[in-house]
Amino acid sequence: MQADNIPPKPQELKRVLTMAFALTLVSVALAPLASAHKVNVFAWVEGDTVHVEGYFAGNKKAQDSLVEVFDSSGEKLLAGRTNERGEFFFRIPKITDLKIVLTASMGHKNDFVIPMSELGEVSSQTRSESVDRTEPEPSEQNIVSGQVTTAVNLTQLESIIDTALDRKLTPLIKLIRASRQEGPTLSEVIGGIGYIFGLIGVALYFMSKKKN
Amino acid sequence: MHISEGVLSPPVLIAGAALTVAGVAIGLKKMDTEKVPLVGVISSAFFVSSLIHVPVGPSAVHLVLNGLLGLLLGWTAFPAILVGLALQALLFQFGGLTTLGINTFNMAMPAVCCYYLFARGIAHKHRNLAIGLAFGCGFLAIFFSAILVALSLVFTGESFLAAAKVLVVAHLPVMFIEGVITAFCLGFLKKVKPEILEVTHASG
Repeated sequence: MQADNIPPKPQELKRVLTMAFALTLVSVALAPLASAHKVNVFAWVEGDTVHVEGYFAGNKKAQDSLVEVFDSSGEKLLAGRTNERGEFFFRIPKITDLKIVLTASMGHKNDFVIPMSELGEVSSQTRSESVDRTEPEPSEQNIVSGQVTTAVNLTQLESIIDTALDRKLTPLIKLIRASRQEGPTLSEVIGGIGYIFGLIGVALYFMSKKKN
Repeated sequence: MHISEGVLSPPVLIAGAALTVAGVAIGLKKMDTEKVPLVGVISSAFFVSSLIHVPVGPSAVHLVLNGLLGLLLGWTAFPAILVGLALQALLFQFGGLTTLGINTFNMAMPAVCCYYLFARGIAHKHRNLAIGLAFGCGFLAIFFSAILVALSLVFTGESFLAAAKVLVVAHLPVMFIEGVITAFCLGFLKKVKPEILEVTHASG
C-alpha cells in the first residue's frame, strides 16, 4: 500500500471509499445465496383443476394470500386464499385466458396467465365428467351420435391418457416452477453497480464544468 | 419493503412521487462535488443490500441499510435511494416504476429523520455512546419505514394496525441486524475518519 505517501485528505476519502466498496463487494459475494424479494405465482392445469402456488424468494410460501382469478375481459371469476403451503386450487370456471392475481401481505403482488389453449385440451373431458358445469355446450362426442360405443371408449381412453400424463408431468411442472425462481443474476448486479459508477462520472463531469 | 405495481391507487402514487421529487431536489442541492463519490458508492451498497435476505421470521425480508445512508448522507440519501431503487426495479423487478416515488419516500424519509435525530450526537459523543446511538439509528430507520409502508397500504383498504403489525414483526430481525451493521460501520468510521460525520452534519 502506498497510501501513506498521499496527502491526508485524499487518503481519508480513499479509506472511506474502500470501506464502502468493500461493503458492496461483500454484498455482491453474498448475492448468489439469496434471490429476488418479490412474490412469485405459478399455476398449472391438472385435469379440470388449476393449481396455484405463491412463494417468496428462498422458497418461502405465501400463506393466506388473496388469489383472484379474472377472465380475458377482466371480469372476476372467483377469489380465495392460499393455504399454509401457499397453495390454492380451483376448478376451471370457464374456458378463457385465466389471469391469476396473487396479493400477499406488505404490498406484494404478482400475476400469472394460463392461456386458453392449455385449458382447451381438458375442456371436453371436463364437461363430460363434471355434473355441476354450467351450460353444457355440444361437444364433438355428442355430434357423432351414431358411434356411441366408440365415442365412449374414446372418452375413456382420453381420460386415462390425461390422468397418466398428469401423473408423469407433475414432477416436470414442479421442476419448471423451481427453475422459475429467477433471482437477479450476477451480471445484473454488476451492471447496476456499473450504472451507478457511471452516474457518479456524469455528475462529476457536469459539476467540474460548472466550476471552470 | 418494495411495494409492487398495481397495489396502490393513483393519488397515493402521485403523492409519493411529489414528496420524492421534493426530497431529491433538496438532496441534489446539498450535494457538492466532493460528496458525489461517497453518495455513489453508498448508493451502490444500497442497491445490492436488498439481495441479502434475512431468513428469520414469518416472511421474506432483506436488508435496507437506510439508517446508515441517512447517517452518512443526510438529505442526499434521497437521490442515492432513488437511483438504487430505480435500478432494482429495472434489473430485478423489485417494486416497480410507478411505485418508485412512494417506495423512495418510504425508505429515504426515515433516513433523513434518523440523520437529524442521531448524526449530531454520533459525531460529538464518546465512541461507545456513538456506537450505541448508531445501533438505534439503524434500528429506528427500518421501524419508521415499516410504519410508512403500512400508512401507504391503508389507502388500499388494509387496516393500518394490521398492516403495521405484520410489517414491524416481519422486520424485527432486520432492525436488529441493521442496528449492528450501522454500529459496526460507525465504529470503523470513527476510527479512520471521524471528520466525515461532522462534514456530513455541516452540509446535510
